[in-house]
Amino acid sequence: MTQRGAAGTDPPDDYLEAAIQRLLTECTEIAEQGITVTRRDHSVLLCGEVESARRREEILRLVVEHFPEVPVTVDIGLIRTQAPTEVEELR
Amino acid sequence: MVIRIAAVGDVHLDQDVVGRFRPALEQLPESADVLLLAGDLTRHGTESEARCVATEFGDLGVPVVAVLGNHDHHCDEVPAVIRVLEDAGILVLEGTNVVLECAGVRLGIAGAKGFGGGFAGRCASEFGEPEMKAFVRTTSAIADQLGEALREMDCDLRVALTHYAPVPDTLAGEPPEIYPFLGSYLLGQAIDSAPTELALHGHAHAGSERGTTPGGVRVRNVAHPVIKQAYSVFHLHPPYAGATAGKVSAVSAGGSS
Ligand SMILES: [Fe+2]
Ligand SMILES: [Fe+2]
Repeated sequence: MTQRGAAGTDPPDDYLEAAIQRLLTECTEIAEQGITVTRRDHSVLLCGEVESARRREEILRLVVEHFPEVPVTVDIGLIRTQAPTEVEELR
Repeated sequence: MVIRIAAVGDVHLDQDVVGRFRPALEQLPESADVLLLAGDLTRHGTESEARCVATEFGDLGVPVVAVLGNHDHHCDEVPAVIRVLEDAGILVLEGTNVVLECAGVRLGIAGAKGFGGGFAGRCASEFGEPEMKAFVRTTSAIADQLGEALREMDCDLRVALTHYAPVPDTLAGEPPEIYPFLGSYLLGQAIDSAPTELALHGHAHAGSERGTTPGGVRVRNVAHPVIKQAYSVFHLHPPYAGATAGKVSAVSAGGSS
């Protein structure tokens, strides 16, 4: 018989990405749909871009709070807001 | 006369973002005649977030015209959100239009949030469960309003503004599995039913900038994470599509010049 983790202990890997993705969208404190969640070896990598540094911190805090067993790596950037230096000419 | 259009979508504002766009926006009147906001203006559609949008995008010195996005609908406070935006002088289009006078040129903007359903050959159909039929009917009703709003304008050039995408081209970069949640070909069909010059949308944060409808209308995804700047500026040069005889055969009389 194959070994399985006891029910309710390890987060079931195949559902972890979906669970984190829905958490980030449906928790209205965050409401982020643009974060990609990828499993890497034994950790989870969060990638994407957000509108403020506070949102990046909130995302990390929320994921750690809900999935305390899962090591999390965050690579989330801030979307730049400089004025454009070029225009697009449409003829 | 060249018409200069600035546009951005998906700014997802809340208190924590207020002020970030403002330095670039102060320069906007020098480089654009109008600013179009392509939906998802708020983080999740509260009245207080709408006040943040009003603070950030109000009093710019150029007309600001917006559509709402799915995030702006989340808290079911749409009437309050619209009221706050309109009190700040930001016009919200919902299957409606506006004609602005820009340096002697009548710029017509028709806007609608849009909805999903997918693209030709890979799209949802009005068939089966009531929920499925309601989903598809929602999109087709919005697309009909958008088409009508585009065709009925008496103007020199037409711009279509939506939140959801009218073509799959500008979704490149998004997982193909979620395309049906990102837009609908029905919006593209509506845009092609009038001699539209440019179609702007947001929503697809991981998509790409450029596309074209089957009818040849240029489409640009101006979602903030895609353009990676405060806004993009497009210069529309005459002769405009509305003046190109025979480009679209289904234009109502008096709809173009
Ligand atoms: Fe968005
Ligand atoms: Fe959206």
